[in-house]
Amino acid sequence: MRTLYFAAGLTLGTAFTAQAADVTLRYMSWDAAQIEREKPAIAAFEAAHPGVKVQTQGLPVKDFWPRLSALAASGDLPDVFTMSSGYIQQWTDAGNLTDLTPYTKDLDLSAYTKSAVETGQINGGLYSLPLSWSGPVLFYNKNMFDAAGLTYPTGAWTWSDFLAAAKKLTVDKNGDGKPDDWGYSVFGRYAQVDGWVYRNGGRYLNKDATKLEPNVEAINTLKFLTNLVLKEKVAPYPKDLQGIRYQDVFPMGMSAMWVDGSWNINNVRTVAGNKFKWGIAEIPKGPDATAETVRAYAWPDMFSVSANSKNKELAFAFIRHMTGETRNATDFLGGTVPAFKAIAAREAWLERDKQPDNKEVILKIGEQNLYTGFSRNWDAWRGYGASGSGGMNGELDEVFNGRKSLDEAVKSFTTYANDALSR
Amino acid sequence: MSSQTAQRFTWLAFLFLLPTLLGLLIFRLVPIVGAFVTSFTRWQIFDKPRWIGLDNYINILTSPVAAKVFINTAWFTMIYVPGVIVLALFLAVLLNNSLKISAFFRGAFFLPYITSTVAVTLVWRWIFSTKFGILNNLLIGLGYSDPPAWLADPIWSLPAVAIVSVWKDSGFFMLLLLAGLQTIDPGVYEAARMDGAKRLRQFFDITMPLLSRSLFFVLILALVRSTQTFEITYALTGGGPNGASTTLAYFVYENAFVHFQMGYASALAYLLCFAVGLVTLANFYVRKRWTHE
Amino acid sequence: MNKNITLIALYSVLSLYALLTLSPFIWMLITSFKEPADLFRLPPSFAPTQLFTDAPFANYTSALTERDFSTFFINSLLVAACSASGQALTCALAGYAFAKLPFRGGNILFALVLATAFVPTEVTIIPEYLLMRGLGWIDTFLPLIVPSFLVGSFGTFMLREYFSALPNDYAEAARMDGASNFRIFRDIYLPLSVPALISVFIVAFIHSWDELLRPILYLNSPELYTVPRGLMSLVNEYDSEWTLFMAGSVVSILPLAAIYILGQRYVIQGFVGGGVK
Repeated sequence: MRTLYFAAGLTLGTAFTAQAADVTLRYMSWDAAQIEREKPAIAAFEAAHPGVKVQTQGLPVKDFWPRLSALAASGDLPDVFTMSSGYIQQWTDAGNLTDLTPYTKDLDLSAYTKSAVETGQINGGLYSLPLSWSGPVLFYNKNMFDAAGLTYPTGAWTWSDFLAAAKKLTVDKNGDGKPDDWGYSVFGRYAQVDGWVYRNGGRYLNKDATKLEPNVEAINTLKFLTNLVLKEKVAPYPKDLQGIRYQDVFPMGMSAMWVDGSWNINNVRTVAGNKFKWGIAEIPKGPDATAETVRAYAWPDMFSVSANSKNKELAFAFIRHMTGETRNATDFLGGTVPAFKAIAAREAWLERDKQPDNKEVILKIGEQNLYTGFSRNWDAWRGYGASGSGGMNGELDEVFNGRKSLDEAVKSFTTYANDALSR
Repeated sequence: MSSQTAQRFTWLAFLFLLPTLLGLLIFRLVPIVGAFVTSFTRWQIFDKPRWIGLDNYINILTSPVAAKVFINTAWFTMIYVPGVIVLALFLAVLLNNSLKISAFFRGAFFLPYITSTVAVTLVWRWIFSTKFGILNNLLIGLGYSDPPAWLADPIWSLPAVAIVSVWKDSGFFMLLLLAGLQTIDPGVYEAARMDGAKRLRQFFDITMPLLSRSLFFVLILALVRSTQTFEITYALTGGGPNGASTTLAYFVYENAFVHFQMGYASALAYLLCFAVGLVTLANFYVRKRWTHE
Repeated sequence: MNKNITLIALYSVLSLYALLTLSPFIWMLITSFKEPADLFRLPPSFAPTQLFTDAPFANYTSALTERDFSTFFINSLLVAACSASGQALTCALAGYAFAKLPFRGGNILFALVLATAFVPTEVTIIPEYLLMRGLGWIDTFLPLIVPSFLVGSFGTFMLREYFSALPNDYAEAARMDGASNFRIFRDIYLPLSVPALISVFIVAFIHSWDELLRPILYLNSPELYTVPRGLMSLVNEYDSEWTLFMAGSVVSILPLAAIYILGQRYVIQGFVGGGVK
């Protein structure tokens, strides 16, 4: 028996990755399904570059960053990897990314959505090329609007239009004194709140994103959202929805309106199925916003090239190919918009055969002044991913649940955020 | 044993311990010392580390957020450790026989331990769900009109995570205690039965003292697990609401792999180790009086 | 009469609790036969909707065939079997040394073995990664096997307690008969510790089988993936394939269930002292 263990032990060290190609380009992504959709594009790249083999690896976001960070620590970063707006600043500062400027001489950057390119422009360099972008939109349930005899939301809606509709859409069907259908649902997460804030000219951060100091417009927006629950009673306490994934509240038909990232279109299609008709609109513009201060909230997903890559030119050619015009509009799921404008403009991207039938709303957002709202340690102060119950996210949920006053919450998340920003 | 015997076994003991020593030195102590050094730096893994001395420790010890996390961890431990041990002991003692039905029960109770946490928490989220949960519907049916929003309630979310953890791990501890029960000579019980001792008396007078070594072992193990709970928290509450169910292991994970503050996370881990170390030492001290040697 | 009522009450409680422990597994089973759209429905439906379609096992077939699951399975089995059997063996040696071979510094060394288990993996994993890279072990199974093969805190602890509970008389008697120390261990104490050894093996096997963070960091090549690492490729940014994930999870716990069922028979084998001649 023991000899068996040793025999097994001996065979283990053998690694078996035969590499026939002259050059192997390593590419790592936070989305394995995306890599599947990219297979034809990758094959096309390999065909155009004989002797080049692209080695792919996909991991869920939660596991992608720990692995990528470990690879960075040991100097083994893959040549190309996906990069998010939330981390690019820190990764650039750490010297992990290649400045792509020297390679872009014959590339017309204006073919890409402007603000998506700008996210990668740091300290005068260009550290990424955008693949796609997305941002929050207002989802609305057409069946519920029809039943209430209301017209559908548009980009011209003001907060009072919104509130009036929400009141009519909040219905107590069985007469027990508690609404069964809600006009709207609130949630403290960035995708549900920050679009409202920026559309009201609000900002959390100072100009150079080194300090959290929410302006009056931002506070007013938070007040407005809080009142939807506590004063107007057109939205339930978030705690009452506990047990349902926040992204399922709208597709399950519990709320006539809902703000979430455009990427969530795919989930709404899956969960709602054909149960009701729905559409999307821009988030209503706030009363405090001026033409100078109003921003649409959106952020890109990007590709970066490792500073240690031995094939930087080739790696750049690869990300240029992967983000460029040879891609299909159908490679971009649901509400993620190709950053390469010509692809987004194709009829195929609009998916007229599927709901919502008005995806051009998202393209219109892309033409406005966009704002990503990111800073160093954004994930900590905003409360992102596994830390979603902390930071601003956690505090806002307390406010929406009626357990804490907004003033108190603002005070405590400002202190926490400035501590995080100072680290 | 005499000191003479102690001398005699030294070389032999080290021979027996050779693999353990090798593993301990290379694969345990090297990373642990590495992490300890890290705790004096600001290190974002993907960036170069920067020496900042005691800043991380000072930061943690003065932060209200970290203080809350330490309190949560202690609270979690106080629910989890006694809960899981009492339940496991109860199951182990009842099922320590060769009946077919007991084998079935043992299997059923062990199952949560091997079932994927994702699947397990999906079910529990539904049980605890505010409006649709079976628990609240049951409570409403019993005439309790305003049941809490368990997982979104600052008071209840942590106990909820602890209860699910107890439920998931009790089969595992049951297995360990069953192994311990095998060292007890059935003859002891027969003698007691002759004396007419009741079952309950037998349990407290015979089983407990003879099982004390295993119980002590299980106690330490439960203590470790209570400080390392992560997956269930992640899937059940995400540490919420507003950090109400964030325990240390979860906070360490957040800082290490979401914020990439490896130095800060390491300092947290070492403060935890210090606290747990003290508790464990106290346990060993108490055990000298308590266990049946 | 009274005793019977107590028994019935007892078994009713046990049955209720068993139902509670079985339900997530049943839920997993049902989910693995669901259409993706039915997954997060509330109140949940118990209907395994896919069973009534013309492709009743679609989740299983796509989970198991779209990815190279048979390879993942063999990899996981190899890794878990090596780690667990190694751990049972080394922990038996170490536990015996700590319990029956008193030596100077033994308690301190034992405390060290135990204390190292308190440091969370999250903070030691990056230094460990750099160590493994230095050893040239990246993209092999060695980082997943060797450390747990060599040292296991709780296996050592458990076996130490177990051996301590066994009387010293056996050893002394055998020593009188001229048996060597190693033979005393192998022929007397090791056979007596089978219930504990099996428990250590089961626990180590499960632990190794479920490990996710290390495979994520150490394995690059898909042909080396373990089952949990393979399952992760079903969890995606915008469209996680949860029903496939559940099907994969059901299949992935089968070996664990098998190990447990096989092993637990030896755990409950009655008072071990009875076997000593």
